[in-house]
Amino acid sequence: MDSSVHLDQIVMRFGDFTAVSRTDLKIESGEFFSFLGPSGCGKTTILNMVSGFLSPTEGAIRIGGEDMRNVPANKRPTSMIFQNLALFPLMTVAENIEFGLEVRGVARSERKKVSDRLLNLVALPDSGKKKVAELSGGQKQRIAIARALAVEPRVLLLDEPLSALDLKLRQHMRTELKEIQRKTGITFIYITHDQGEALTMSDRVAVMSAGKLQQVADPMTLYRYPQTVFAASFVGENNKLTGKVSSVEDDRVSLDCGPLGQLTGTTRQSLKVGEEACLFVRPEYLRRCEADTPQSLRMTINELNFEGSFVMMDARLHANQQGVRVQLNTDAYMADLTPGAEVSFNYQPSEAIVVGGAHV
Amino acid sequence: MFKQLCNRFGTPISVGIAALLLVWLIALVILPQLLMVDYSFRPNLLPSEIGGPKDSYSLVNYVTLFNNKIHLGIFFKTIWSSVMVTALTLVVSYPLAFYLAKVATPKQAALCLLLLIIPFWINEILRTFSWYIILAYNGPLNAMLQALGLIDRPLRFLSGNGGVMVGMVYAYILFMIFPLYNALESLDANQIRAARNLGASWAKTHLRIIIPHAKPGIATGCIMTFMLAAGSYAVPALLGSPGSRWFTQIIYNWFFEGGNWNQGAAYAFLLLILCIGFIGLVMKVFKVGLGDIAK
Ligand SMILES: Nc1ncnc2c1ncn2[C@@H]1O[C@H](COP(=O)(O)OP(=O)(O)O)[C@@H](O)[C@H]1O
Ligand SMILES: [Mg+2]
Repeated sequence: MDSSVHLDQIVMRFGDFTAVSRTDLKIESGEFFSFLGPSGCGKTTILNMVSGFLSPTEGAIRIGGEDMRNVPANKRPTSMIFQNLALFPLMTVAENIEFGLEVRGVARSERKKVSDRLLNLVALPDSGKKKVAELSGGQKQRIAIARALAVEPRVLLLDEPLSALDLKLRQHMRTELKEIQRKTGITFIYITHDQGEALTMSDRVAVMSAGKLQQVADPMTLYRYPQTVFAASFVGENNKLTGKVSSVEDDRVSLDCGPLGQLTGTTRQSLKVGEEACLFVRPEYLRRCEADTPQSLRMTINELNFEGSFVMMDARLHANQQGVRVQLNTDAYMADLTPGAEVSFNYQPSEAIVVGGAHV
Repeated sequence: MFKQLCNRFGTPISVGIAALLLVWLIALVILPQLLMVDYSFRPNLLPSEIGGPKDSYSLVNYVTLFNNKIHLGIFFKTIWSSVMVTALTLVVSYPLAFYLAKVATPKQAALCLLLLIIPFWINEILRTFSWYIILAYNGPLNAMLQALGLIDRPLRFLSGNGGVMVGMVYAYILFMIFPLYNALESLDANQIRAARNLGASWAKTHLRIIIPHAKPGIATGCIMTFMLAAGSYAVPALLGSPGSRWFTQIIYNWFFEGGNWNQGAAYAFLLLILCIGFIGLVMKVFKVGLGDIAK
């Protein structure tokens, strides 16, 4: 069945305020698609339009090619997992899961079969008779998933479903969600402000900022080749060095970074000489080097933080006092790297990305 | 609690406050009520006979009601009509309270609440009397319905129970709306969305999610409205017809026309006891606890 979701030229305005600027996006059938962006950028608003709680000011939502404009929320083939779960506190766990079937008039015995099967799927058999208040956070989470799946939606909408869980559980639930998605083949639209979640689970990620889509790409591409200053800064850790384009040769771009000198990186954009641009180098691509080698940055170490498998180093660039971060392998963490020491690090031009524009 | 008071105001002031409260409770609430209880068990005697051999406690005043078919009929009719008033008030208030709590923007809600409250700055008698004017045989409602061609001759709204019902719904609507509004207000909007999202129609959403959540508020509103309706005097006196007498009117007559305070007190307690019993029963049936209501 076609479970694609097409945001067809949608715009959402609340009065004068544009919560979602014009967006055209096709989410494929069976895809695990994430919207990633800071709080308040319009993610929930998009889910609310897909589920029918809000009507877009302009444009249309199409699910499986079908225009949803005249389909009310309770008739759409979508199911939502709410940011606060919104389990029904006055019902038992089984009643919660069966609610969608109950309102469709499905017989009790039939409903019971479904809730039993789903309780097994989310690894909580025998909890059907419990009250919602008796469950732990992680268990509530799974019941919310089971309840949403019970109505056999074509599209599952998840609004930051893991944000209330502790780290261990969150990582566990990531795997489980992905597993459920594989098993059911339902289109997942997942919302998060946590880039780790978006990158590990998604087939594709849309990075959003202030109601605008910044970039839509698979996680690897997004991480390796961010296309806007915002995407580069928001996804993963990045060191941002600003300058003006001084030369362009195929995908190699050199920037004149003022006191930092000439720095070269790679771009996927067509940039013009003289244009403002940013060069992004991730902390893990910076390597120890001799002073004055190409692409080298001279810095003073501020602080070294042991993170287990690596050491994160905070330093300050000599030339302009800008803060940078460097990720060091624990075995490369040598004794001469101490706070206050002066060192040089450089990177390979193929590992640094140049993006046009100077501001987010 | 007393400790908290002491910490905040010091012991002497706290003792003073507590003493005042106690005096107020005893002198102005408990004693008069006890006096009424005492009255209700004693016969109505001439002043000279009080304290004499005839002045003994008995249930005679209470039994009177059960031997008087007319009074008994009015008694139960009052209970039944109060139930109807309560139901009608609930039906009118629920959509309004829902709109205020969950649909209206804060500005709209504030405006609506203001419009609801302003009429209550006017004295109850005046408000009730204005209904008398509206519903009168030659009144504006009849004139309007006639002008619209909906009826060809005026209706007698005030001859049956209709006038009393309308008057009471109007008089007590705030006592229903506020508890309902409070209860609905506390419902997480996502609960409603979740129900809709899972395919529930609006009717099902109200029935299964919203009303169960609002049950304590509904219970509080219903109890208040019922008690006020059953104990109402002004509305039936002004808008009622001879056929729609309220039990309170009979109590009034015992006190101020029959001059029999003992009998009146007994009737008043019977009404109180029955109302409380009735409420207890209804709460049992709908599985509402006292704790729910206090919330
Ligand atoms: N019903 C509404 N009326 C007015 N503004 C709204 C409404 N819903 C959301 N907004 C605004 O739209 C923006 C996006 O909100 P939302 O989609 O909830 O963000 P998030 O990405 O955190 O989920 C916010 O600035 C919010 O204040
Ligand atoms: Mg949100």
